[in-house]
Amino acid sequence: MSRATVARAAIVLAVWAALATFPQWSQFWESSRFAAGIIRQILIFAIFASSLNLLVGYAGLPSLGHAAFFGGGAYAAAIAAQRLGTDQLLVSLGAGVAGAALLALVVGFLAVRALGIFFLMLTLALAQMVFAIAFQATDLTGGSNGFSGVHRPMLFGIDLSAANDLYLLVCVTFLLVTVLLWRVTTSSYGRVLVGVRENERRMRALGYDTRTLKLSAFVLAGAIAGIAGALSAYEFRFVSPNDVALGTSVTGFVMVLIGGAGTLLGPVLGAAVVLLIERVLPSQLPAQTILGIVFILFVVFARQGIVGAVRRVARA
Amino acid sequence: MIEIGALRRDFGGIKALAGVDLRVPAGERRAVIGPNGAGKTTLFNVLTGELGATGGTMRLGGTDLGRLSTWKRARLGLARMYQRNELFDPLSVRDNVLLASSSLGGAYRPLRSPSSAEVAQAAEVLATVGLAERAEVPARALSHGERRQLELALALARRPRVLLLDEPTAGMSPAETERITQLVAGLDRSLTLLIVEHDMDVVFRLADRITVLHEGRAIAEGTPDEIRGDRQVHDVYLGKEVHA
Repeated sequence: MSRATVARAAIVLAVWAALATFPQWSQFWESSRFAAGIIRQILIFAIFASSLNLLVGYAGLPSLGHAAFFGGGAYAAAIAAQRLGTDQLLVSLGAGVAGAALLALVVGFLAVRALGIFFLMLTLALAQMVFAIAFQATDLTGGSNGFSGVHRPMLFGIDLSAANDLYLLVCVTFLLVTVLLWRVTTSSYGRVLVGVRENERRMRALGYDTRTLKLSAFVLAGAIAGIAGALSAYEFRFVSPNDVALGTSVTGFVMVLIGGAGTLLGPVLGAAVVLLIERVLPSQLPAQTILGIVFILFVVFARQGIVGAVRRVARA
Repeated sequence: MIEIGALRRDFGGIKALAGVDLRVPAGERRAVIGPNGAGKTTLFNVLTGELGATGGTMRLGGTDLGRLSTWKRARLGLARMYQRNELFDPLSVRDNVLLASSSLGGAYRPLRSPSSAEVAQAAEVLATVGLAERAEVPARALSHGERRQLELALALARRPRVLLLDEPTAGMSPAETERITQLVAGLDRSLTLLIVEHDMDVVFRLADRITVLHEGRAIAEGTPDEIRGDRQVHDVYLGKEVHA
């Protein structure tokens, strides 16, 4: 490992440790609990956006149906916990990941046959089908009423239902996912995905089965979105068709683009910006309009997102 | 090594390949020449599987290529240097070559960096094509000549048995042409080469034998000397070069 990598890892760990202990050191601040809740949600959506970024930013696959795996994971975790009558984290989280991965395998199998805009439309259409199922399978998902009463999980006999324990669970999961994505994107496999993004034709001529490669990235990204979905189910104790809807897919996409596609930090910053606008701005202000304007500004003036803009300033 | 029989490829009513027969033994360096539109690049595209054949047979080292996909043919040892550079622009020169060489080690190594053997092999290939000093530079920052050298490095990094060179000197200065010609001339003699090239000096220097394509058919085949003396070849192709 180079010195720069070690320094960067040290900074990330220090920031993470400060974040993970936020409820403790901020406890005398009157808004501490509210802020901790926002941070939890930011981190959950950061995991979701980071998983989408693996497709959009690294493999060059613009998926507009990624919420199917977020919501799919949330439903799978909630349903598994209810049907199996267990609060065990490993069971419900495992079900969330497996359910999302399986769904991504089916959707991806069809979608990776198309390229560019057709890939985008196909992911959108298939995700809408998942939405329709979530909406109509009332017995399983609660339909339009949503699935309420999700239990907060237990891990090896430790009850994580207190807000601070859930906070730590989200922080630890976020760190693990980030380390995983860092390792994946800097590995041989990560470079291969970038190769597919840059020149798929050449990759085939070099002996790569690019279709299966894209499917593998799609399933991996789906599984990670499933983790975020399961965490969201614990957080809100509720899963609704909204979680698999187009709006959530678009939100993820906006987070990736605002933060900076193809960078690890970008989607995390993007998730923070979007959720701060949506949840923290005074309610008199039109949050969605502001978000739209911010998004347009980034598309017009900073295509590479926050990370790209900062890099450009640092270089100048 | 390459056995092509009655290979056809139609585009609507146009017969780009109208029944090409071509046999290239292992280790031979064969040039394919002919006027524009003779079907040379189509022949390469059909050989690599980027275009489907309308009819005919293709075998590589005895294996029927039939309907094998491009990536499977590449794994059989077929590599191609493209006429238009097909590089990975944002990646460094070294990473470009690593992408080529690491397909041998498998695409699915999500938690591992390239092995030191792969890095060493990439360095060796870069030294072969004369880009050792440029390993850290992103591909997009290379000059045209260097891009062609990297293009050749990508094709070589897979240790192919058969290498298709599609106009290796296209758009190059005389000095760059000389450099790439020397590089190709110095390649391992066990490698089978199929070269499409318009520069006749390069063709006559590199080729053991020459096949002349005209209107989708092989109209002549022979040693460089035989082809030079062939009247029909002069009429359809070489004559034009001399007058031009």
